[in-house]
Amino acid sequence: MTAPTPATDERRRARAALDQAPRSLRGLLVKVAILGVVDAVAVYALFVLFLQREWLVFGIAVAVLVIINVVYLRRGLLPAKYLLPGVLFLAIFQIFVVVYSGYIAFTNYGDGHNSTKQDAIDAIVLTSQKRVPDSPTYQLTVLDQLGLLSFLVTDPEGNVSVGGEDRPLEPVTGYGTDATGKADELPGYTTLDFSGIVARQAEIAALAVPLSDDPNAGSLRTPDGSRAYLYISTLEYDEASDTFTETTTGEVFRDNGHGAFANSSGRELVPGWKIDVGLENFFTAFGTESIRGPLLATTAWTFSFAFLSVATTFALGLFLAIVFNDKRMRGKRFYRTLIILPYAFPAFLSGLVWLGLLNQDFGFVNQVIFGGADIPWLTDPWLAKVSVLVLNLWLGFPYMFLVCTGALQSIPDELSEAARVDGAGPWSIFRLIKLPLLLVSVAPLLISSFAFNFNNFNVIYMLTGGGPRNVAAGVDAGATDLLITLVYKVAFGSGTGRDYGLASAFAIIIFIVVAIVSIIGFRQTRALEEIDR
Amino acid sequence: MTTAIVTDSPEDLARRGAKERRRPFGRWFRETGWRHLVGVAVLVFAAFPLLYVLSASLNPSGTLVGSNQLFRVVDIGNYIELFNRPTLPFAAWFTNTVVIGLVTAVCTVFLGALAAYAFSRLRFTGRRIGLLSLLLVQMFPQLLGVVAIFLLLSGIGEIFPVLGLGSQVGLIMVYLGGALGVNTYLMYGFFNTVPASIDEAAKIDGASHAQIFFGIILRLVAPILAVVALLSFVGTASEFVIASVVLTEPSTQTLAVGLYQLVSNETSKNWTLFSAGAVLAAIPVMLLFVFLQKYIVSGLTAGAVK
Amino acid sequence: MKVNSRTLAAVGALAAVGLALTGCSGNSGTPSEGGTLTVWVDADRATVLEDVAAQFEEDRGVAVELVVKEFGDIRDDFVTQVPTGNGPDVIVGAHDWLGKLVQNGVVAPIELGDAAADFQQVAVTAMSYEGQTYGLPYSVENIALLRNTALAPNAPATMDDAIATGQALVDAGDAEYAFLVGLDPNAADPYHLYPLQASFGAPVFEITADGTYDPTKLALGGSGGEAFAAQLAAWGEAGVLNTNISGDIAKEEFVAGKAPYFLTGPWNVPAIAEAGIEYSIDAIPSAGGQTATPFVGVQGFYISAKSENTLAANEFLVNYIGSEAVQTALYKVGGRAPALLSAFEAAQSDADVAAFGAVGAEGVPMPNVPAMDAVWADWGATEVAIINGQGDPVELWRAMVASIEGKIAG
Repeated sequence: MTAPTPATDERRRARAALDQAPRSLRGLLVKVAILGVVDAVAVYALFVLFLQREWLVFGIAVAVLVIINVVYLRRGLLPAKYLLPGVLFLAIFQIFVVVYSGYIAFTNYGDGHNSTKQDAIDAIVLTSQKRVPDSPTYQLTVLDQLGLLSFLVTDPEGNVSVGGEDRPLEPVTGYGTDATGKADELPGYTTLDFSGIVARQAEIAALAVPLSDDPNAGSLRTPDGSRAYLYISTLEYDEASDTFTETTTGEVFRDNGHGAFANSSGRELVPGWKIDVGLENFFTAFGTESIRGPLLATTAWTFSFAFLSVATTFALGLFLAIVFNDKRMRGKRFYRTLIILPYAFPAFLSGLVWLGLLNQDFGFVNQVIFGGADIPWLTDPWLAKVSVLVLNLWLGFPYMFLVCTGALQSIPDELSEAARVDGAGPWSIFRLIKLPLLLVSVAPLLISSFAFNFNNFNVIYMLTGGGPRNVAAGVDAGATDLLITLVYKVAFGSGTGRDYGLASAFAIIIFIVVAIVSIIGFRQTRALEEIDR
Repeated sequence: MTTAIVTDSPEDLARRGAKERRRPFGRWFRETGWRHLVGVAVLVFAAFPLLYVLSASLNPSGTLVGSNQLFRVVDIGNYIELFNRPTLPFAAWFTNTVVIGLVTAVCTVFLGALAAYAFSRLRFTGRRIGLLSLLLVQMFPQLLGVVAIFLLLSGIGEIFPVLGLGSQVGLIMVYLGGALGVNTYLMYGFFNTVPASIDEAAKIDGASHAQIFFGIILRLVAPILAVVALLSFVGTASEFVIASVVLTEPSTQTLAVGLYQLVSNETSKNWTLFSAGAVLAAIPVMLLFVFLQKYIVSGLTAGAVK
Repeated sequence: MKVNSRTLAAVGALAAVGLALTGCSGNSGTPSEGGTLTVWVDADRATVLEDVAAQFEEDRGVAVELVVKEFGDIRDDFVTQVPTGNGPDVIVGAHDWLGKLVQNGVVAPIELGDAAADFQQVAVTAMSYEGQTYGLPYSVENIALLRNTALAPNAPATMDDAIATGQALVDAGDAEYAFLVGLDPNAADPYHLYPLQASFGAPVFEITADGTYDPTKLALGGSGGEAFAAQLAAWGEAGVLNTNISGDIAKEEFVAGKAPYFLTGPWNVPAIAEAGIEYSIDAIPSAGGQTATPFVGVQGFYISAKSENTLAANEFLVNYIGSEAVQTALYKVGGRAPALLSAFEAAQSDADVAAFGAVGAEGVPMPNVPAMDAVWADWGATEVAIINGQGDPVELWRAMVASIEGKIAG
């Protein structure tokens, strides 16, 4: 064994010294400052959560705080240091959204099942207060005695009575009146003025003063603090048995386990509330006739639309990138800047513009470009499909152009030079060298673009609304409906209201489909094999 | 016998010169001229709907669909009107869009660059799966995540009122949830073309990983950072669904949301104002693109790095 | 974790800033409540309400906060936000939202008291659902027939008369269209075509004795509806109705003087007047023998079911927005006839308002029942198909009725 040379020795010592030397001081200060601020904010959040007793969120926040500190204060853990900020945002604003939408799929959240059971009970009680017909309007003054509220009412005939919660009205004397003859003060009580009423309005609004000892005679309530009316509740809630009873017919409404109170013949009280329904939404999703019927055709079109959109935009984008990639050409910048224009406009604005352009009788395209032709761009099923694809091409080719330009730039020139020296023509160079390299780097973008267009709700909805619909064939889906627009219509419109639970179930199903297709796509292109370098 | 030295007579020279001057045109056309033809054709395809919008915006009384004669009337009254409506604060929308777009773009680029560096340079378990899942997670149909986003922001608003519903910072944070996705993949690909030997050399010179990242790598990958910044800005500026859920006060809204209001009300549509607004709305993106163009297309060939 | 200077520095910084923040935020507790009324209003009405709000604050000491929102978003956002407890106290809205709002338990009944008699009956009916009144109405609007008096000097008695006159004008080259109504290539416009349908005796749902709808009894079908369908097909074939003519195009063509008749509402009148067209507002001519009653749209204000300021809100609505001054101011801003009878009478001095009001006096409110959602989509698509001759009109109509009944039932 040779003795270690002075050179390697030195180098080893240098490296050892380097390992132990402090990193740049400025870097350390910056890191500590940022970490300090983040920790302070997190501690504050923990404090507030603690006060609000949100234990689940509190626990999560504690875990996140610990993770952040461990990652940034420990030496090493480099990947985590770089990934943590982005992943944090991802986790909170994307992953949580997906998970929560997934959760909604297992509930019946939607119109009619909007909130909690208590809210539903409160709302039913509120709307079941009906004013007794032909009952008079009472002039009201709200009185306060040692914190207990009372109503001082003057009926149209001038009779004055006072009462309170569970204290039926009783006539009084010795009251004071104001100019209109309304009784507005009573000895021993303090009269509340408007601001006093506002301060206790929740209590006053809930106050029901019985008219008399007979519970069926109704009670007085006030909507605005200066007038009272006689109300009868048509539905009484019994907390012990958790039922509503109709006062006139005696019908009983029970919790039917589906988020509503229903009587024996199935009539439900409105509103209901949100409950977990397990897999019911998924069964409905597969069982709804209005979806299942056109499902095959719509799925086929959705796949074609996504695939063709990607293919056409990529082809045009690539073609243009190659065309403008020539060093000798002047004015490249000019063309490139203007080609970006369609991409610069918000997509839905463009959709509305094209909608006008393609109008059969009045649109620019028919009148000017085709010289007065009568082409039914948006009302013929196949032409509508073409229109939608053309609009998507128009919207998307600048993005592909940009990406391909960048990707082409990064292909080393030596490769093409070498090939040209070997005698290959420009088309072979492109086909055998540039295109494969390009595809490798661009493939995941194409797949993501496919996924995006699979769910491209805006373009379709703006241009055709999913139509045209073939009503004669009884088909509920339009010729350009994607799965997502179909879902939107079924879940949000044409049924009896918005059904978020059903919509979320569909969203999960579509997400799974798209994810599977994408994974297969990734495998096929073997793009990520490159990662294993 | 003397050999006659054949020299070109002046006429011959002139004729050959002329032919040479003509030949370049033919060659020029074959090599470059046709590219201009293609450029013009694509330009027409790309620009004519927007020309239509421009002409409608210059027409004070037309509707969007009725005015087929382009530029029949040229009157900038609509543009002036845009800034004169107190309940439709166009100037505020414009500023909001630019600010939100730029901030989101910068943060997206930063977060994405950090992640791309990790995927590209560092080796850790789950690297491959991680990149794949980033792309997959972003494929969830956003339309239906709106309810969740709304509830999330209300919840956050209870803790930090400054970040809740109605706040632009909250909106930016929601957008940053999408920072790690396709854009990260784009950057990852570009990072891979920067040879690892640069990192090694810097490490030997005693630089920490942060110094390498911020000082060296970021500068080398400037083109892709510019591309991602532009893509992110465009995406944010045209995003409509989430922005309309989060921002409700007109003075905080963005251009997409605000302009839509001009034409969404059945009985008070104003297409000409809308067109004027749409034309102005395209300007920030165009400017950004022009500004970033030299970064985007300067390219990084393997040779230049070495 | 190694304890070295770095760690200590970090912990120190963290502790210091943490304490500081916690200290100065110690008493951020529950959000302030009471004393402020949050009102959602759209851009057009915001200006008027600002004055009312200031007045209310001065008189009653309760602050009113106006939040301007996009009208189309208000209903859905309201339904989503009220359960969270962060919703507004009052919103502006259209009467046909009511069924949805009650179904979701987000709206509270309002007691108009004696003031109920001060409003137009149709307005109060529109704002009621299942016997309870929920909203304070402030405007009533409906469509009518706008006639270009230069082209057609006399009001038509029936639809056939109108079309005959229009056709004669087209043949003579004085007009380009016999009749204009704004439609949509994918959804027609059942709202505008409704009065013609009603003149055949086919309302949407059966109307009960007290003027409300019975959502369980679809009345679209039957001989009246089928006769209407046949007539629609005839009109489509004759070119009287063209689904490619959208509302904007129709307005533009009428403003250019290219048609004698335009079936539309008060929102287009300013543009028509500005163009100098001499117009008259007539009753919609009957097509099927019965009166052509248009849909009446009522707009008003609702109170949230979870509002903590119900008394202040009631006071604000009934006594302030329901006052003649405010109703008149809102009318002046929006051009829609006021719902309060006294303001309505004062507004009669405007001939247009009087004319629209006369037409609307016979009108019925649009159904506000939740089941309406199931109706619109099929109704519109079927009308498109019939007008464009895509099948036998009666068969298409029957299929539509069956489909809607299926959706309502299931």
